[in-house]
Amino acid sequence: MSLLVLANIEVRYGRLTAVRGVSLSIKDGDTVFITGPNGAGKSSLLRAIAGVTPASCGTIDFDGYNITGKAPEDIARLGFSMVPEGRDVFGSLTVEENLMVGTGMKARDRGWKAKTAEDLEAVYQTFPILKERRHGQAGLLSGGQQQMLVIGRALMTNPRLIAIDEPSLGLAPNITDQVYERLIALQSLKALTLLIVEQSSTRATLVGGRMLLMRGGQIVLDGNAREVGNSAAVQAAYFGYEDH
Amino acid sequence: MTDASLSTLPETLANPRKPAPFALARKTIITPILLSLLVLAIAALTVMLGSRPFNQAMIDIMVRVVLVVGLYIFIGNSGVLSFGHIGFTCLGAYAAAWLTINPLMKKASLPGLPSFLLEARLPYWQSAIIAALFAGFAALIFGKVLMRLSGIAASIATFAVLAMINTIYSNWESVTGATSSVVGIPIVRTLWPYAGAAVVAIFIAWGHAISRSGLALRAARDEPTAAAASGVDIPRERLVAFTISGAIMGLGGAAMAHSIGVVTPDTFYLGLTFITLSMLVVGGMGSLSGAVIGVLLLSALIQALRWLEAGVPLGSTTFALPKGLQEIALGVIMIVILALRPAGLIGNREITLFRVNRNK
Repeated sequence: MSLLVLANIEVRYGRLTAVRGVSLSIKDGDTVFITGPNGAGKSSLLRAIAGVTPASCGTIDFDGYNITGKAPEDIARLGFSMVPEGRDVFGSLTVEENLMVGTGMKARDRGWKAKTAEDLEAVYQTFPILKERRHGQAGLLSGGQQQMLVIGRALMTNPRLIAIDEPSLGLAPNITDQVYERLIALQSLKALTLLIVEQSSTRATLVGGRMLLMRGGQIVLDGNAREVGNSAAVQAAYFGYEDH
Repeated sequence: MTDASLSTLPETLANPRKPAPFALARKTIITPILLSLLVLAIAALTVMLGSRPFNQAMIDIMVRVVLVVGLYIFIGNSGVLSFGHIGFTCLGAYAAAWLTINPLMKKASLPGLPSFLLEARLPYWQSAIIAALFAGFAALIFGKVLMRLSGIAASIATFAVLAMINTIYSNWESVTGATSSVVGIPIVRTLWPYAGAAVVAIFIAWGHAISRSGLALRAARDEPTAAAASGVDIPRERLVAFTISGAIMGLGGAAMAHSIGVVTPDTFYLGLTFITLSMLVVGGMGSLSGAVIGVLLLSALIQALRWLEAGVPLGSTTFALPKGLQEIALGVIMIVILALRPAGLIGNREITLFRVNRNK
């Protein structure tokens, strides 16, 4: 069953078109990488789905609802949790307060308090370092810890899908490994759908799953990450041998 | 970092342990308690000293604590600077005047008031509560429109609110007495009601800051995009804070009216806006402790400068600063503090009993 369906999405910034007519559908429980060189439109596509930068045309369906043009907070309430690029933790809040922010929207549900405490403990067990620093200011965490915190924050909203923009940005390779290990483990445990934007296709090849390669605002390649790997087509997309 | 051997999740994740009750309230309640104790200690000391002028100076300080804490509720938590809040103080002060002045006087000086206000003569504490509700309601109406804006646009729009309220109150002769003073407001000279209002304001501010709404608002202050992506409806949370802070500003206005017995529209305009915002910024915009301590420090400073301007006897001669130096010195001191500590004296922290290491 398709969780997310995009039809003919375009994103424009003034006269610049960042995403040109992207259509795709993502199955429930999949791991999907969107890769591609700088300026390919990966982040723009993600931000359009999350409602941060509305798409200028096309339709987006999530979990059976049409979310085209909806506000980001409304899309988040439906179970689409986005982790924006640059690990923007709420710097002046404590780690625990950061984790609590996303739970507010479910506060009217029955048993919210117990559920939240349970979720909090689950996040702490996945990322023990966060528990250690739970009362510390989030802005003072290291880059890797901040990445774990934003993933934890996304988990606290009990999403169907987590969309992450460049989780490896500015992280040491071994820290990136740790982040991915836990992400993949969480995915299988919680039956999450992952939508990950990465500039390099290497990570997708390592982790596996579906890989979409973008270039010039379009999807130029769609396949199994391990099979597509580092094929000539991928290299062509990055370096553009075929284009000129 | 943690050990890198964690290739799978711990077994326990499938069946999480009994959750520890999260207790943000219990952890942070020490801050409003300490701040209230500070306020009450100052009040007790003043009452023991029994000096009339000192008592009046302390009443002014308590009123300012209410006002600056009111500002903090919106500005501190949302990060949006507001120049308009003193407008709600104006609304509160006039509402208190309407509700408490002797009906005979009102019929002569403010004949345009509706009859239920003309006949009203409430005790000061009832008028203060109604004034706060009235100002809060006004803030809700204005905020409904304003809270869609952010950044400098929102700040300028709040300034327009201040100008609007001032213009209405300066011209509506039959209801507000226009620019002339409205006199005859019963004066309350005991310090305790004012200290009580300050404590109430402090606890309301704390309760709001740790509430879900306050938490969401503080998150949106740090990173609006990420907050929206976490499901935070930013305009709504801003409106909640704007309304509560408007009500506290109204309470402060009522307290001010009862402390001096006279209101004019210009009492609640640029001068008061400047001094209250300065106190908040110097103390530290992002913290309740900063708001309270900013008031205490700057008030003490202003008092000291006034005292020096009036002249201090030094042996046989009198040492006095030239008139007007008070404003200049205050300005210089503020610039120095902000240059050295841009986040204010307290910064983003709160005072606690045990020095909680937020940087751990």
